[in-house]
Amino acid sequence: MSAALQYFLAGLGIGGIYALVAIGFHIMWSSAKAVNFAHGDTLMLGAVLTIVFLDHGIAMPLAILLSIGVAIVFGVVLERVAIRPFADNAASIGWMLTTIAIGIMLESYATIEFGAFARPLPSPGVDKPIIIFGAGVFIQELLIPFVAVLIVVLLGIFQRRTQLGRAMRAVAFNRVAAGIVGINVLHVAMFSFALASALGGLAGILVAPVIQASATMGLLLGIKGFAVAIIGGITSAPGVVIAGLLYGIIEKFVDGYISTAAREAVGFSLVIIVLMLFPQGLFGRRELVKV
Amino acid sequence: MSRIARHFNPAFVVAAAILILALPHIAANEYELRLITLLLIYAIIALGLNVLVGLTGLVSLGQAGLYAIGAYTAAILATRLGVGLVPGLILGMAFAGAFGVLLAYPTVRVRGVYLAVVTIAFGIIVENVAIEWDSLTGSWVGISNVPAPTLLGLPLDTNAYFIVVGASALIAFLVNLNLMNSRFGRAMRATAQSEIAARSLGINVVAIRTLAFVVSAMAAGAAGVFYVYLNKYISPDIFSFTDSIRFLLMVILGGSGTALGPVVGASIMTYLPEYLQAFGPWQAFAYGLLLAAVMFFLPRGIVGSVEHFLSGRMAEARPDTVREERPRLADIVAVDPADGSACLDARGVSVAFGGLVAVDKVDETVDSGKIHALIGPNGAGKSTFLNAISGVYRADSGSITFLGRDTTRLNSHQLARLGLARTFQNTELFSNMTVLENVLVAFHKEYRSNIFSTICRLPSFRRDERHFREAAIALLGFVGLSAYAHEKAENLAFGHQRQLEIARALALSPKLLLLDEPAAGLTHAEIEQLIALVRELAASGITILIVEHHVELIMEISDHVTVLDYGELIASGSAEEVQTDPKVIEAYFGSQSFGDGPEPAAGPGAGSAGGEA
Amino acid sequence: MSKIALRASIGGAAVFATAIALGTGPVNAAEANPCIGNSGPVTGPAAFGGKSIRMGAEMAVDEINAAGGVLGKKLKFIQYDDRGAPPRGVDNVRRIGLRDNCVAMLGGYHSTVALAMRDPIHEIKMVYVGVIAANTKVIENGRNPNYMFRVSAKDRWVSKFLVAEALKRSPNNKVGIMYENTGWGKGAYPNIQAALREQGTKEVGAETFNWRDTDMTPQLIRLRKAGAESLVMWGLDREGNQIMRSLQKIGWNPVKIGAWGFAGNLGELAGKLANCALIMQTYSWMGKLEPRAQKLYDTMKKRYGIKSQKEIRMGSGVADAYDAIHIIAKAIKIAGSYDRQKVYEAMFSVKHNGLVMNYNPAFERTEERHDAILPSAYKLTAWYNGELLPLSQTPCK
Repeated sequence: MSAALQYFLAGLGIGGIYALVAIGFHIMWSSAKAVNFAHGDTLMLGAVLTIVFLDHGIAMPLAILLSIGVAIVFGVVLERVAIRPFADNAASIGWMLTTIAIGIMLESYATIEFGAFARPLPSPGVDKPIIIFGAGVFIQELLIPFVAVLIVVLLGIFQRRTQLGRAMRAVAFNRVAAGIVGINVLHVAMFSFALASALGGLAGILVAPVIQASATMGLLLGIKGFAVAIIGGITSAPGVVIAGLLYGIIEKFVDGYISTAAREAVGFSLVIIVLMLFPQGLFGRRELVKV
Repeated sequence: MSRIARHFNPAFVVAAAILILALPHIAANEYELRLITLLLIYAIIALGLNVLVGLTGLVSLGQAGLYAIGAYTAAILATRLGVGLVPGLILGMAFAGAFGVLLAYPTVRVRGVYLAVVTIAFGIIVENVAIEWDSLTGSWVGISNVPAPTLLGLPLDTNAYFIVVGASALIAFLVNLNLMNSRFGRAMRATAQSEIAARSLGINVVAIRTLAFVVSAMAAGAAGVFYVYLNKYISPDIFSFTDSIRFLLMVILGGSGTALGPVVGASIMTYLPEYLQAFGPWQAFAYGLLLAAVMFFLPRGIVGSVEHFLSGRMAEARPDTVREERPRLADIVAVDPADGSACLDARGVSVAFGGLVAVDKVDETVDSGKIHALIGPNGAGKSTFLNAISGVYRADSGSITFLGRDTTRLNSHQLARLGLARTFQNTELFSNMTVLENVLVAFHKEYRSNIFSTICRLPSFRRDERHFREAAIALLGFVGLSAYAHEKAENLAFGHQRQLEIARALALSPKLLLLDEPAAGLTHAEIEQLIALVRELAASGITILIVEHHVELIMEISDHVTVLDYGELIASGSAEEVQTDPKVIEAYFGSQSFGDGPEPAAGPGAGSAGGEA
Repeated sequence: MSKIALRASIGGAAVFATAIALGTGPVNAAEANPCIGNSGPVTGPAAFGGKSIRMGAEMAVDEINAAGGVLGKKLKFIQYDDRGAPPRGVDNVRRIGLRDNCVAMLGGYHSTVALAMRDPIHEIKMVYVGVIAANTKVIENGRNPNYMFRVSAKDRWVSKFLVAEALKRSPNNKVGIMYENTGWGKGAYPNIQAALREQGTKEVGAETFNWRDTDMTPQLIRLRKAGAESLVMWGLDREGNQIMRSLQKIGWNPVKIGAWGFAGNLGELAGKLANCALIMQTYSWMGKLEPRAQKLYDTMKKRYGIKSQKEIRMGSGVADAYDAIHIIAKAIKIAGSYDRQKVYEAMFSVKHNGLVMNYNPAFERTEERHDAILPSAYKLTAWYNGELLPLSQTPCK
């Protein structure tokens, strides 16, 4: 029993990480029908830069703010140079490859400058595990899914209560119509990428105490986060978070009761099966196809 | 696209063969020769991927998985059972091809970025299985001790093996080239550019996509087998996500959709690491930079850019194929005289989008040989009704009978094959294909030559191709577009685009032709031409169902007019009868809000079912 | 165009016929070039491994060249990137042996790569000297002549060493195994089992983990349930840290004893959680250095931007590569020629007082002794407050 609880709690922590990545994909997709495929590297940027700033003697709160600031600039620039010029490509090859290319460059640069080793990011959340019915978990691991859910709630409020938020919803629903009624679609896209990248940087800082910061931490997180976003239904913010948490928990149960080895095969088979049954993802809205 | 390809000739093949023969003697050392062998192996995989990405417009980010399946099949068979190169090659290709079918299946429902995720997942699953199925694959340690390749019992040394791979790459090149310049290649490109139009021309897009996946999977499988015998060692490390990206980059860098592009891309990507090594720890960065640079500065790829440049220059020099005499339709396609029976019969047809009922229990009969008009204010459900009877949407209730057959549940490509052709409100041409190719696509289902005779260029293929090329040119002559046969469809004037769409529909030898607002955007003179054409078609026995806003045109040509309003049939009869019907007057002029009502065909509701056809 | 297929098949047939008739291999030069190649991870997560080899090898080559080179020729060290992927390593072997025509090569960081290199090395018949990758079967491969040599640890010996230390600390002889699911970890697993069997016992459980795994609680819960008193661990720092944290989560503190993959920055990652985790090494750059090592350390500071002793990642690799180059150079001298065959024969005559130990002789003609560093040179170190120190300098037992 305590083993099952242990797997559940550990899965919640990992699922929270996927959920945080997936929210970023959701925000980008809603505004641009394209994403930064290397969004995992935005997390890396947030985590690695925070450590670099700490190394330079900058206080933690400022280091976090600076890192998120850099992540925002990265997101805005990336949207401008790597997404916008390729948005019309029907097969999506353009932006997929440009953002992957930028991800490769970023990861490679970070490996050279930061080193290939993983490094810890100190946090009070990982000092001591708390024990619940014999299962141990770090506060930080519980904080991550909590923040993921919180972000969805705040995002929902933002999108209902503010002009900009409503514009985001309009663009997500129908880009062309939103443009016709006078919404500056390009500004909304820019803002969305800034927001997604800020959340990505924050996510990196949140997860680094648990999984450690390293130049290569982004790739797998990005791929899994994207797969999770797609099966959750990339048009639905709550959907991607639920899918993320579920995916993490399933992974841990596969680890615990089947085998560590089968994890990726089982997980990604599930991805394919879900997509076959729900082509728009579990909670997704159908994309508009005009005739 | 095919212009440069058409300039290839047997001399090219002979030259390539001589080069392949000579290379072992030119290469500086064994390593160089191995590198060229590797290049050719990559060329095979890239040529296959080109069919998928370049022609069919489907992205695969899991090609390394198929490559791995071919490689592991050959390696396991060779080390465990002593199976040689040729049977290994056949089995490796067959096995990879089978997985290609599996991978194609999701394209029935998912597209674009969703498909990308499916292929990524596939690649990761294959990699994971290769890592974890230790007893079979040797896990991370991989499979070594692969025996030397043999052919007909003769052992092949590095030189001879190079020539075997070289010959195979040449064959792969010719397969790619011949496939591109055939009805299959045209159907693939058509599917990529407008799936809905391809379906409406009788193309089974699922079958075409499956074909593309299988071809690319078999190529990847073959490449995997060749790699095993070249390197004599495999492990999961070279079948990762980044390798799938590398293969895709080969195609994009060289020029996707071109004949030579994949080979050029494979060459560069093979030699690139040799030069990147000089960058030491920066080589991954340099690789990323190159990938980005290609996307920014050469989105068409190297060969694609060259062809684009050349086509601009050659366009002026091209002679026009103008025919002097306007051919008769009956000489080109099969038309049967009308017998006055019911061509199409709709009983209680309803289509709803969520809560919105766009078409509500409509009963109507279209008699053969007649010009039947469908009118109504915006949002009346005209286009939805048209889409329902042409199989784009499925009716939620009611039944549709076409030529005496119940066609309620048929897909649009099946209906097209029965003789139901259509045009689209916003023209759905294959804009990157030539005018002639647009029409040829519609003849796809008429060809008798199969894929084998097409790839091998057997006489049956050449007979078919010559025949339908002539028919297509004649059809263009019939609608007056002969002069533009080799122009890209997107470069046509709008009126000409409408004419081309009609010519393309006529290639199906239709019994029923659905025209969705054919006069929209036309000039007065063009409308006159259209009226004449529609009359001529009806006279030759083709039933016409026309949706139009242009009231004068309707009244002038229609034998029968049906009026829809808010999805319901409110009037049906001759033009005169309908004109004086009070319900019709009420619908059109009675209240201001009627004319400005919502148009479900363009709204979210209509669209949401669009992918389901 | 229509005739392409027909001509192609005729052409193809001609191609095959002529090819098989003409097929002759390119000629290999008798004398190799004065270069020593290396295939290692230059990019990617293990790039520090490639860098450690480069530092050690380049420093040795510079010393040799400053003294006039070997047989009147200056040696050259050429490093190629394999990113830890065996097929790329195999490629690099051919690049080094066939194109660059080097006299010998150094091995890289990953055991899987080293295992894959055995075939092409023996095709080319070029001396290979491993400097990090420790998998037993890289060297003990059943070939004769065997061109695989190593100046590094051997997992079979390391297993014996670690198992003996683990049993010393387990009152009831209950040892659990945690190993990474890679070629290295999977290769070592049977060695650990054999070492336990030799000591008349067997493991209570064995668990695997993957790179980048962030939670090891399921595996550790199973091992605790099985009654393990000590854990023999085979893996790298990043995952080592997750083991330490997962142990803390489930509130368990067994004896932790690991192979040298945990010698990088485990202490930095896990902080005090890693205290008294025992790690085997061949060489340590920590503490006070002997004069020769001090000189090398100064060079590293100047040439490679190393700022402190702690920054020498995979320090054993630096020392091993440094010794290996000197051994190869001596073998060439003894051979009196850059002929690969003669150099191979001369490998067995080399005696060398190296950084890691006094090799006397470096190699013998038994399969087991193609490994130069003997278990007597292995050192047990312990993480303590972020530093990896000789056991005696810590309060650990």
